[in-house]
Amino acid sequence: MPINPVFIAILSAALYVFGYYRLPFVYGGFLLQLAYMVSRGTELGRLPLTGPHDTLFFLSLSFMLFGIPVSFSLKNRQRFLNPVTAVTVCFMFLAMLARPHSFPLPPVLKTFWFEVHVAFSFFSYALFGLAAVLGVLYLLSGEEETEILQYKMILVGYFLFSVAMIFGGIWAYYAWGTYWLWTPKEVWTVILWLFYSFYLHARLRQWWSGRPAAVLGIAGFGVVLFTYLGVSLLMKSSHTF
Amino acid sequence: MMRNELENTNIPVKILQFFLSLRTAIWLLMTLLCLLFYGAVVMPANEEFLALHTEPLFRFMAETPPGITWWLWAAIGVLSLLTANTLLCSIESVVKKKRARHWMLIISPQVAHIGFLFILLAHMVSGYGSFKGTAVVYENAVLRLPGGSDVLFRKIDVDMDPMGYMKDWTADVEYFRGGVSLGVDRIRPNSPSFRDGYGVFIKNIRFQPYLVAMVEVCREPGAVWALIGGILFMAGMMTLLFSKIKKEEAKG
Repeated sequence: MPINPVFIAILSAALYVFGYYRLPFVYGGFLLQLAYMVSRGTELGRLPLTGPHDTLFFLSLSFMLFGIPVSFSLKNRQRFLNPVTAVTVCFMFLAMLARPHSFPLPPVLKTFWFEVHVAFSFFSYALFGLAAVLGVLYLLSGEEETEILQYKMILVGYFLFSVAMIFGGIWAYYAWGTYWLWTPKEVWTVILWLFYSFYLHARLRQWWSGRPAAVLGIAGFGVVLFTYLGVSLLMKSSHTF
Repeated sequence: MMRNELENTNIPVKILQFFLSLRTAIWLLMTLLCLLFYGAVVMPANEEFLALHTEPLFRFMAETPPGITWWLWAAIGVLSLLTANTLLCSIESVVKKKRARHWMLIISPQVAHIGFLFILLAHMVSGYGSFKGTAVVYENAVLRLPGGSDVLFRKIDVDMDPMGYMKDWTADVEYFRGGVSLGVDRIRPNSPSFRDGYGVFIKNIRFQPYLVAMVEVCREPGAVWALIGGILFMAGMMTLLFSKIKKEEAKG
């Protein structure tokens, strides 16, 4: 029997709120989200990565998937996980605004390249989101290690995002005969990639290191949100929901 | 004149210093971002850009008024400068630091840079020589490919699930030249058929008024370069990440 996603969202959100007082509740909320994703995957017989419901929920889960291990490298785990849980809950409830997409996949989407392309894209979005949270924490505290961790998050996110773009190109070539289309999503994807390329190069210079780099890392998540949600909802593209 | 003064007034040296500067890379990336941002805003608002989906980039740019495509011309100019900047910086970095302790940390970003340049090369090659043609075919229809071969669509099969959704499809094709059979092939989702440098893709299948396939014939001469670039970029980035992790562990 399919699980009611709203029930899962409310229960997970409640656990995350308790997590503000006791961290183990955060892990409970994450496990509940993970269980829902596994049940969706089992129900569909594939990775649940199409449509706004599943992708927003997957992104929400990805924040915690990376956020929890990252928190162990910080002295004050609670201070980092509090804003991360807020972002996670926010995206989880956004996912609830859309109905689950339970139709069979079109034949062209049934490929390894598509699954890795989408999964890695959302993993990188989550890492860029965590980097933005770390950027805010750095601006508030001025602790150098927080800014270094933000850089690490962006470096790993940039790698995964690049892999997602390359795999997307391979898939598009086999599906449609071209690795590049001039659609708004592709152009914005390149803008996002160039933005983080800019960050990684700028941070090497003295003038940009520290606070300016942290601000860039925060602004980058704005570009992520527009590339993912703004373009998909406002513009016609091969990636439209 | 002192040596430093001489260097400061020497124009080729100044040009070389400009291209060897990280500051140049940062400004070029920032300019490119602004140009693409402008492009991303104007493209959906101008119907002229729809031709970009069917024409090679450089033909589109040559045929479209510069008032519309100026940002694309400017982006190509900036990318050319960025290419020179990337190449020179990479060479300088490897030469200067070849005796450094963490050599993998020096070489891996350069491998990623070379991968990026290969991807740019791929876009240039495709921008000149790509081809895209579309057709609607039914069973036993014949298409003439640009290379001179004919492709006969012998059979189109569609597998539907009980709810009426398309599960899979196949198209059996046979190639001919001058009436002589050159071979048979099967087109499936994500598995096109290639002949003489052209790929035959089925984009969609419709049942009304009868079973027809929307076919696209494509040539993408930059695809191989893009793949090489992609592999180099991933290899460079992965090595960079592992080298950084190793360095951190050594510190800890």
